[in-house]
Amino acid sequence: MSKRISRRAWLTSVPALGGLLVTGCSRETFVPPRVRGGLIGAADVLTMSTNRLLLSGQQLAREYARSDVADPFPTWNQTNPRNEEYQRHLSEGFRNWRLPITGLVERPRELSLDEIRSLPARTQITAHVCEQGWSAIGEWTGAPLQRVLEAAGGVTAAARYVVIDTFDRWYEGYDLFEVEHPQTILAYGLNGRALPRGNGAPLRLRVERQCGYKNLKFLRSIQVVDSMAGFGRGTGGINSDFGFHWFAGV
Amino acid sequence: MMDGALTSERPRPGADTSTVHSYSVRICHWINVVACAYLLLSGVHIFLDFPELYWGNTGYRGYPAAFRLEDWGLSWDEAGALGDRRWGRNYHFTFAWVFLLNGLVYVGWNLYSTHFRNRMLPARDELTVAHLRTELRDHLRWRSHTRNCVGSYGTLQKTSYLILIFVFVPLMILTGIAQSPGFTAAMPALLDLFGGRQSARTLHTIGTVALVLFVAVHLLEIAAAGFFNQIRSMITGKSTVSIHSGTRK
Repeated sequence: MSKRISRRAWLTSVPALGGLLVTGCSRETFVPPRVRGGLIGAADVLTMSTNRLLLSGQQLAREYARSDVADPFPTWNQTNPRNEEYQRHLSEGFRNWRLPITGLVERPRELSLDEIRSLPARTQITAHVCEQGWSAIGEWTGAPLQRVLEAAGGVTAAARYVVIDTFDRWYEGYDLFEVEHPQTILAYGLNGRALPRGNGAPLRLRVERQCGYKNLKFLRSIQVVDSMAGFGRGTGGINSDFGFHWFAGV
Repeated sequence: MMDGALTSERPRPGADTSTVHSYSVRICHWINVVACAYLLLSGVHIFLDFPELYWGNTGYRGYPAAFRLEDWGLSWDEAGALGDRRWGRNYHFTFAWVFLLNGLVYVGWNLYSTHFRNRMLPARDELTVAHLRTELRDHLRWRSHTRNCVGSYGTLQKTSYLILIFVFVPLMILTGIAQSPGFTAAMPALLDLFGGRQSARTLHTIGTVALVLFVAVHLLEIAAAGFFNQIRSMITGKSTVSIHSGTRK
């Protein structure tokens, strides 16, 4: 008898878990845009869904003290995109640089650097964790991505991913769970000064719960979409197009 | 099939076979061997792509390092050419899951079947100083306990397995996820536990070396106890038992 009850309890817990998945979090919260085949794909889903269940309270990544900051902050990979348009903006001090916000937002628009600076700002002293193994702490100042999207009227009901494009020809997709996190900011300041070129001027993304390669530098545009299918090889980002994890929480 | 092939190894006169390893132990053991082999290989690949270790929360090229492969004769570029972190990360995290789930099945199954209580927990009289001294002396003289007494573990063996399973392996898993920005956002105490992300990475590497040494000793012990009989017992579950098994020389 007791066995039957426990089985029933177990069975009813399945829809409960399903309900958890639905409340504010859809499939995109737990599963990468395109699941790879075989054991690797199964592990991807386990890693991402475990992370997201543990982070369902949208906890903040640890913030450190000012004395922990690495200054100058190390630079890695691309430090000066060889792109004509970028070089022009750089020489003009990014006065004429604009960030287009298009796709599934209520009022698509462009934002200048000053307009982004005038949005409510957040400063956070966090660790940048590179998947290669290094980590360094920096003080990042920027506008929460959610506020930036709200400046374009907010995302529509069909929105599933935010795609960010850069001047060094990188692009990455982010599910809305990541976008809504308070520490997900578009940073224009590092260690109390304007973001240096080597660290991604004029604007870079901070997603503090994922590895370095998801923290794009040299931002060029933002697009809100319902699917990652039309971008690159359709895996959801340039890193996963090349076989790295799409979800870089580990 | 396997049984027939292996028992054709001619049994000595007066020898008999008996079951020494249950199905669960054998299945989990070999899954574990595959998972650990991939974890080691992929871990080495990940390490070679950033062959420096640090202490604390911070560590990057140019920051004071606790260990640099460069100082040991392999330059940064040479190490980078050997390592492939894309392959490494994909397989490391895949087999970390295989290792974890297999380990949970192993521990769960054996706690349920009282395997741990009956075979892994040292009996009270085994924990006396005199007994441990005798066993250690036999050990150092290359006289394996297992050879004399198939189907039960020596006290040192039991103790090292228990420490491995319940202390060492959990520490490897925790120092692993203490490097993850996602897991540490959910469990920031992991950063305090190991003194920072870079400390966790360093401890994870030291732990890997310790595990490799453990496996080396494990293989030596198997060699000492009779390699083919031991391997066969872990595959078929059967082991040749000498009729003199009761008498310890």
